[in-house]
Amino acid sequence: MNFSRPIRFIAFIAVSIIVGAALNVVVSKRSFSENYPAVICPPTLPGLASQISLSSKKTEFQRLQDRTTQTEAVKVLRLPVNKDSLLFSTEGSTPVAWQSRSGSWAGGAICSGPASSQWFVGASADITTKGRLIIVNSGLSEAVVDVNVFTENGKQPLKTISIVSKNYLVIPVDSLAPGDKTLTINVLPRSGRVNSFLIDEQGKGLRTLGGDLVNPISAPNRTLIIPAIPNQKKKPGQSATPPHVLRILTPGDVDTAITAELISADGVFIPVGLNSRSISAGLVTEFSFSPKITSAVFAIKITSTEPVVAAVESSVAVGGGRDFVWSTPAPELTELTMAVTGLTPLVTFTGAKINVAIDLTLVNGKLVRKAVKGSDITTWRVPEGARSFTITKVDAQTYAGALVSSVNGYGYFPIAPGSVLTRVEIPDSNIRILNP
Amino acid sequence: MASQATKDKHRVTAILVSHNGAIWLPEVVAALTSQTRQIDLITAVDTGSQDASTKLLKSARIPFVVADVETGFGQAVSIAIDKLPESVEHEWLWLIHDDCAPAPTALAELLAAIDDRPQVVMVGPKLLGWHDRTHLLEAGVSIAGNGARWTGLEPLEYDQGQHDGDHDVLAVSTAGVLIRRDVFEELGGLDPNLTLFRDDVDFGWRARAAGHSVIVATGAVAFHAQASATERRVVEVDGAFLHRPLLLDRRNAAYVLLANSSWWILPWLIIQLLGSAIARAIGFLLAKLPGYASDEILAIGALIIRPGSIITARKVRKKQRFVSPRVIAEFIPPRWSQLRLATEGMVEKLRRQLFPDNQQTSSASVLDSNEDEDLLTPISTNHWLGIFRKPEVIGFVLITLISILNSRNRFGALVGGALPISPAGATDLWRTYFESWHQVGMGSTTAVPTWVAVTATASIFVLGKVQFLITAFFLLAPIVMMFTVSRLLKRLTSNSWISLPAAFLYAVSPVAIAAISTGHIATVLFMILAPLVALMLQDIEKIEEYTWRKIAGVSLILALLYGFSLMIFVIGFVAAVISSLSDYEKHAQVANSQLYALRLQKRTVLLFLPFLMNIPYSLEAVANPSRMLVEPGLLISGGGPIWALIGNPGGANALPIWLVSPILLVLILSLFSSTHARRIAEYGVGALVLAVVLSSLSISTHGNEASSKVWAGPVIVLVTLSAIAAGTVLLDRLRETLVLSHVHYRHILAALLLFTTFSYSVLAVGWSVSKGANSLVQANKETVMPAFLSVEKDTKILVLREVGSSDKKKIQYYLSRGRDISLGEPDVAPPQTVAIADAARGLIDGSGVSSSATLSEFGIKYVYVKSPFKREIIRSIDGLGGFSRTSATSLGVVWRVTAPASRLMFIGVDGVRKELQAGEVGARVFIPSPGTLILTETYNRSWQVLENGYRLERSKNEQGLPIFTVTEAGEISLIHDGTGRRGWLSLQLIFLVVVLVMALPAGRRKSQISDKELA
Repeated sequence: MNFSRPIRFIAFIAVSIIVGAALNVVVSKRSFSENYPAVICPPTLPGLASQISLSSKKTEFQRLQDRTTQTEAVKVLRLPVNKDSLLFSTEGSTPVAWQSRSGSWAGGAICSGPASSQWFVGASADITTKGRLIIVNSGLSEAVVDVNVFTENGKQPLKTISIVSKNYLVIPVDSLAPGDKTLTINVLPRSGRVNSFLIDEQGKGLRTLGGDLVNPISAPNRTLIIPAIPNQKKKPGQSATPPHVLRILTPGDVDTAITAELISADGVFIPVGLNSRSISAGLVTEFSFSPKITSAVFAIKITSTEPVVAAVESSVAVGGGRDFVWSTPAPELTELTMAVTGLTPLVTFTGAKINVAIDLTLVNGKLVRKAVKGSDITTWRVPEGARSFTITKVDAQTYAGALVSSVNGYGYFPIAPGSVLTRVEIPDSNIRILNP
Repeated sequence: MASQATKDKHRVTAILVSHNGAIWLPEVVAALTSQTRQIDLITAVDTGSQDASTKLLKSARIPFVVADVETGFGQAVSIAIDKLPESVEHEWLWLIHDDCAPAPTALAELLAAIDDRPQVVMVGPKLLGWHDRTHLLEAGVSIAGNGARWTGLEPLEYDQGQHDGDHDVLAVSTAGVLIRRDVFEELGGLDPNLTLFRDDVDFGWRARAAGHSVIVATGAVAFHAQASATERRVVEVDGAFLHRPLLLDRRNAAYVLLANSSWWILPWLIIQLLGSAIARAIGFLLAKLPGYASDEILAIGALIIRPGSIITARKVRKKQRFVSPRVIAEFIPPRWSQLRLATEGMVEKLRRQLFPDNQQTSSASVLDSNEDEDLLTPISTNHWLGIFRKPEVIGFVLITLISILNSRNRFGALVGGALPISPAGATDLWRTYFESWHQVGMGSTTAVPTWVAVTATASIFVLGKVQFLITAFFLLAPIVMMFTVSRLLKRLTSNSWISLPAAFLYAVSPVAIAAISTGHIATVLFMILAPLVALMLQDIEKIEEYTWRKIAGVSLILALLYGFSLMIFVIGFVAAVISSLSDYEKHAQVANSQLYALRLQKRTVLLFLPFLMNIPYSLEAVANPSRMLVEPGLLISGGGPIWALIGNPGGANALPIWLVSPILLVLILSLFSSTHARRIAEYGVGALVLAVVLSSLSISTHGNEASSKVWAGPVIVLVTLSAIAAGTVLLDRLRETLVLSHVHYRHILAALLLFTTFSYSVLAVGWSVSKGANSLVQANKETVMPAFLSVEKDTKILVLREVGSSDKKKIQYYLSRGRDISLGEPDVAPPQTVAIADAARGLIDGSGVSSSATLSEFGIKYVYVKSPFKREIIRSIDGLGGFSRTSATSLGVVWRVTAPASRLMFIGVDGVRKELQAGEVGARVFIPSPGTLILTETYNRSWQVLENGYRLERSKNEQGLPIFTVTEAGEISLIHDGTGRRGWLSLQLIFLVVVLVMALPAGRRKSQISDKELA
């Protein structure tokens, strides 16, 4: 039999495969648009002072209520804010807002991009409160926001609020659940480009009891890490330090059992009464604890059978008075840049194995590399004259928070990116989407 | 000839009219002279015969008169009567045609029939065929309402005496008719206006209206050649325009009806005559008899042009009439019997075409019976369960069950994959096909492919229910494709145990499963028709022997397939190029330019004729070649060259790649076969090579901006078909070889092949009825667009939707007109406008500060984000100015563009933009002042705005939209001029009709029909 003809045909197949492979170029032309959403810092309410730490003088900003879309450079590394909420185009660097009431309290919060949901664990609505919830709509359209308030008495009726474009609304906290003591607030934007901030300020008559900016949590979780809780030792002449208060809520419909594990340089243990504690669903619950540790800062890891939100309120003495700090959970640490000009925060890392590489940029522009290693909990004080630090490398399951002490008070903010790189694939036009 | 009046009271004068009838005349004369009852007097009239007629008459000693060549039959009879002696009592005229030979007893029988019937004035014999003397031609005659000559007989009816007896009839043929002379003269004889044909019916009608009787006496028989009617001789009578007998017949038929009918029935008669003339003309055209077609029309036209003759004739008849003309009503055939006869004729014709009579079939004869057989022995019959042992039954039952199981999620209105929602009725599809402007995206003038019209036509059989048609099509497709391929395979093997499993394999092949589950209509249709096309083109290598009629017939099928996917054209084009190159090579060896030129010519016609039948769609595809590689509906990506190599088109819902079919293996094995399988496999490999190359290409069309791999389904159908056919031939011959030989490599290969095939079949069926049932195409899916967005008519909505699997999500967008897309619309979908694309991108990445302004300029009123969707982007849109949220439901979020946005915008002299009300395509609206009218549709020269009868000046604005300058206030009309589209469609129709006529069997002129056939 003559095989030349069949073999020729088989050769055709082989050639076609080669031609096909050559023509078979990658067709998935995927192009992306990448940007960091602008971050919003809280407005400065009457009686308060506010400064925003920035990592570059060229950072572009815009006042919230400007109707134009024009921005301008800040030209400073620490920007005092008189009134308006500001929008910053920080290109990945997270500014920190530091607010204080002279001689009364101070607190820090990170400026962040619009959020889809924010949980604030803190504040009370009893007669001692002077707290305010600030909801900022940085979008060009009207925003509609649902505000859910949980207290020790359960979930309060839903409040739906509309905010005109490029504006903010200040809501006294005591109007949200009058008389209730322990609040947890969920701000849920239905539409609009919305950020919110919570100022918890307490006072009894003319006597101030301190205050703080409560940092938000994005979503309830079964595991929460609060990486930095101040633990001041009693100094001679001072009254007894009030215990720490763990405020916790499971917002679902099912009760939960929580265990809080205290992580400190003195060791890792579960404080008495915080092991497998049952929590009723929908009710804000508080537990007080006074750990017998020598460390000035500790972390807490909360594990729960149902998703929860939590924060720890710690009382601190500053100068001659007292202040309190709300330490909130931090997300897992990732590569980020945080502007800390004018602040010398004590950054606390927690995790089973801590291995963090940091690039510190000083005000004069110099770059200092730093490595933080350890286990369970480690602290690092940002030196004076620093404008920003960048986490360049970090092991998984590491969390960090920062504690800042100033003459007016004590504050906390989680080490977390204010805005993450948004990578949006440029859309294609395809009629197929009109087919079920 | 002595008078017979002494024997009976009658006197019979025979009048023979001859005209070029020398062929029949000797027998006619002989018949007259051999009558048992002799004729009393015989005379003849010859109307200018050029043949030996007069000589024959002379030699027969029949006295005759010579008349002019244009003398009609009636006039010739009158001439003869004028020469006769005075009329006597009981004198009868026996009119004899020169092609009509009465039987010897004819006259006697005719006279016997009228003996006791004094009221009878006209009696005729039973007319039988001249050549086939059992063929019954007439036993009385009438006229149908449409002018047809009505005999009440079936075509070529055999005379078994079934119509025997003396009956009252409306009329009898003048061939052999006996008419009482006094009445004949009293009624003025045969109408001189009816020179030939229908004079008999007219006279019978007049005789009856005058109160007389007309009967047929079937005891009398005459044999009639019908020489003039069957065009055995040239009709030269006066009024026979162009000597066309049909024209004369049709004209005379209309004349008879119009002259004799009651006046109040005339309008209806005219309509009937016209309608039937047109219908018959179309029929003749289809039968490629344009002469007959023109006869039909000219005949009616001739009467309409000259109504004077009708008016005169009606006056004459009015005078002669004693009873109402409706007296003949009982002899006019009812419409249902005409219909029945026509239908029976058609069915019989079809039956003969489909199931030709088997000449060798012999019926069981009693002579064959075995008389020794014990009648008490029970007859051996097969048990009824035996039917289920037949491979045909097993195969088709199995495929039916599989199809039902596989389609369990597809009972209802199908949608998904490449298949958009079907419209409820066929009218929507017709509208899509005919309209010049399509409201898809920013609007389009793209030609709608022919498949839309084909689908609309096919839905007629299901009462216009397109959804039902599509559902039934996909449900029945595996069964039908198994049937068609089994017809092909039975030509390759007589062993049903090979052909049926092979057909089953074809129906569960990877391409069949993928095409059905992804809604690729063209591939499914091609799977059904490809075996039939292969049967038609089995001798394609001898294309020079193809008749033009066959080429036209094949072109029709190919045009149907081109209409669904021009990829069939691409396949044909590649095959034609290869064949032509091969011819060129052969020509170098054996020069025969004429042969190869003819081959090239026929091949070119076969390739391009269907292409022309699909204009304008096919011509537009030349300008946009990617359209040649797509199927109806949405663009669904194929799997690429590796998938194609294993005979699987790939892509979504295709069989997984590990489920390798034996297609490639069979093709390669067959290449080494010494049988016919090798040649088939070579075709298969050629198709495989093409499939691999095509499936490696990427295209973007049909409203899809992103590149998608070509779905090479139709080419893979050919690969599959070739593999199945080659495998069938291989196994058919292999079995004999294997049985006779010792175990060697062939046994191993056969075992490998069978094992692979069996494994594939089981796994493929299992996959298709389990996972495969959750196909892209599903029934009754929820629509994309919420109902509330459809309330405002023809509102443009920018729809954003996240598509793809969870790990490969992608945002896509398109403009909706308030509803989901439907069948035919993706095929005409325009590419997206750059400005809208930028606006959509701005919405998604948050940079679109000017997006709302852009959308407003293009008349886009809403932005709709279909859930589920990224919340961040929803917030981003919230953050952009120019949009206000109108709703946020579980279906999605809707924003309204705050700036004015509508289909028709007006900018007055004050510069204010105003929305105007506009319909779906055209509009009629009042313009308050001079200014500029903006139509937010794609610019097209057919857009016109008329005001006070004048066209407004049209131009393009910076967005590329049509604008019109309004010079004064007033009402304007917006139209899209579809003249161009109508012109193209007319051209397409002309091509279709021409090819259809070419493909139909040619009718024969009566002159071309043999005497034997005519009987």
